[in-house]
Amino acid sequence: MSVSESETSLPKQAGLPGMRILKPLAGPVLAVVISFVIGGLLVAALGQDPVAVYRLLIEGSLVGWANLSVTLQMTTPLIFTGLAVALSFRSGIWNIGVEGQMLMGALAAGIVGYAADLPPLLHAPACILAAALGGALWAAIPALLRVYLNVNELVICLMLNPTALLVTGYISTRVLKAPGPTNKLPDIADAARLTNYSIFSQLNTGIFIAIACCVAIAVFNRVTVRGYEWKLIGLNSRFAHYGGVNVRRNVIGVMLVSGAIGGLAGAEQVLGVYGAFYDNFSPGYGFDGIAVAMLAHSHPIGVMLAAFLFGALDSGSSVLQMQMGISKYLVQVLQFIVVLILAAQFSFGWLDRHRKRQAAGAPAAAPGEQPGPTPADR
Amino acid sequence: MISDIAFSAIRISTPLIFAALGGLFTFQAGMLNIALDGFMIVAAFAAIAAAYISGSLAVGVLAGILAGMLMAALMALFNLRFRAHIFIVGIAVTFLAYGLTALLLKSLLGQDGVFASDAIPTFPAIDIPFVADIPVVGPLASGHTLLVYVAYLAIPVVHWWLYRTRWGLRVRVVGEAEDAARAAGIPVERVKFQTMLLSGLFCGLAGAYLSLGYVSLFAKQMNNDRGLIALAAIFFAKGRPVRTAAVAVLFGLATALSVRLPQVTGAAPQLLELIPYLVTILAMVIVGIRTTRDNALNGSWRFDQ
Repeated sequence: MSVSESETSLPKQAGLPGMRILKPLAGPVLAVVISFVIGGLLVAALGQDPVAVYRLLIEGSLVGWANLSVTLQMTTPLIFTGLAVALSFRSGIWNIGVEGQMLMGALAAGIVGYAADLPPLLHAPACILAAALGGALWAAIPALLRVYLNVNELVICLMLNPTALLVTGYISTRVLKAPGPTNKLPDIADAARLTNYSIFSQLNTGIFIAIACCVAIAVFNRVTVRGYEWKLIGLNSRFAHYGGVNVRRNVIGVMLVSGAIGGLAGAEQVLGVYGAFYDNFSPGYGFDGIAVAMLAHSHPIGVMLAAFLFGALDSGSSVLQMQMGISKYLVQVLQFIVVLILAAQFSFGWLDRHRKRQAAGAPAAAPGEQPGPTPADR
Repeated sequence: MISDIAFSAIRISTPLIFAALGGLFTFQAGMLNIALDGFMIVAAFAAIAAAYISGSLAVGVLAGILAGMLMAALMALFNLRFRAHIFIVGIAVTFLAYGLTALLLKSLLGQDGVFASDAIPTFPAIDIPFVADIPVVGPLASGHTLLVYVAYLAIPVVHWWLYRTRWGLRVRVVGEAEDAARAAGIPVERVKFQTMLLSGLFCGLAGAYLSLGYVSLFAKQMNNDRGLIALAAIFFAKGRPVRTAAVAVLFGLATALSVRLPQVTGAAPQLLELIPYLVTILAMVIVGIRTTRDNALNGSWRFDQ
């Protein structure tokens, strides 16, 4: 029932070596193409020329450094949140609380950013560390409840997202509010700011941190025993348990790391984009992360590609709105049509394998079974 | 002041009751439907657009219900037919709904954030004869619009539906023991599909009430996470209709207080808005402690519990 690792977790089939890389790409690419066709029909139905719309969408996001830098800026938070979600999905855990973890991370970074007095070389790292801690602590709540009380982490995450929004809102409007009409914390110290690379956008060092995180997680997954265990509990937690894997400890570990990465998304926004914690700053990066992780098949390197695609769509949609007056929400529709199609596609594959295994007479253990039974799961 | 708050609590909890009643059908059938907000926002948009174009409230409400059921059918199609995980579908449908309504708001009605017009008909307040004259209860119970009464009358109907009819029994069996239901010859998929459509119907009413009854406008994301709060009520009351509705009313009261109290006391509205979410988490923790302890007593130990 996991959304992770559909194709890649299967035994590798004989064939051309190139096929091993291309085959997992076929599903996502097809989903994107189908959703673009549906989007085109939608645009035509609304009385616009789809070809012109898509041309402008591509030009407005990719052509020229000004547009490209905006795209890269939009990509950065999506890499973080996508990676955080992907990490949990790969282990069969539903961390959909990344939005809340990001807000908590951002708040921590915002507080350390203005309240601490540190030398320039240490200030930004201290903020980033605080953000990771903030995110991890917020993720610890569903993790501990899941592991020790068997409470559905999905519902807890669902409730913790608005909780984080209200708590950070309370702190930034009442407790630590900066003087002035805006609901925000005081500006962070200059020493805490991340370097900006473009005069056209708020593209900053955060993107390199994001890419480094993806590479690090990819290596970790592939090389370390712990990375293998995290995959194993996603494939079949019961089997992992009997194989000697401490499922409880690993579930907590996955959630803490996932939450920490979610917190980094907040740090990037505060230290690199806004320069202070603003109330309600996120347009839903944590939820977009779910879409990114789906498109990426929960693979860290895939996350970078998927985040770039969604980032390009996001930045192109602003140009679309300005030049053709088409609502930027067209892109949101496209993105979640992709998710719908991908979700369905994966399950076809799961069903086929299930049938094959039953036909072969082997026990039909569902790959990617969740650690523990989930009430009202399906 | 107090009766003022109580009166507005009744109004505010109306969409919560509708959404919670809709969500508990799928909950009872063993499905975690988190797309209530998505159904609701699409219904709110369809209702106000239809009412604006036709000038008729009935057409508006009907369009809202249809739109809600259409989204529910989409969800059921992907979950039950294409076997997509209900949770992923729920998220996708919700954000699809947010995007679609904001897109159509701009493209069809030419408005960016909010749509309001004098051409939109409004519900008249209904004074119930005799009841209106009772001292304390009268001013509270009387003078609401039609959909408010529909919501409160729907509570016993849903209870009867689930606990006194054959169909309700089937739904509960499917939710309790799907394999047993299938073995007993109950068409599980069909029952689930029906509960999903009912979810859409009630969320359609919730949406129609939001844009036509509660206020007379449409704003993007105007549902304000009410579907999530309704879900919280369902979880807290374990899907029992009367209790769920009662919890929804309590959450509505908290919302009414969060609007009024800050004006009087200067308290932060965020803290009262937190109540539904914190209460739900607390309830789930208590249930978790209890089942874990019971399992330990029964000796049914499992590594993942």
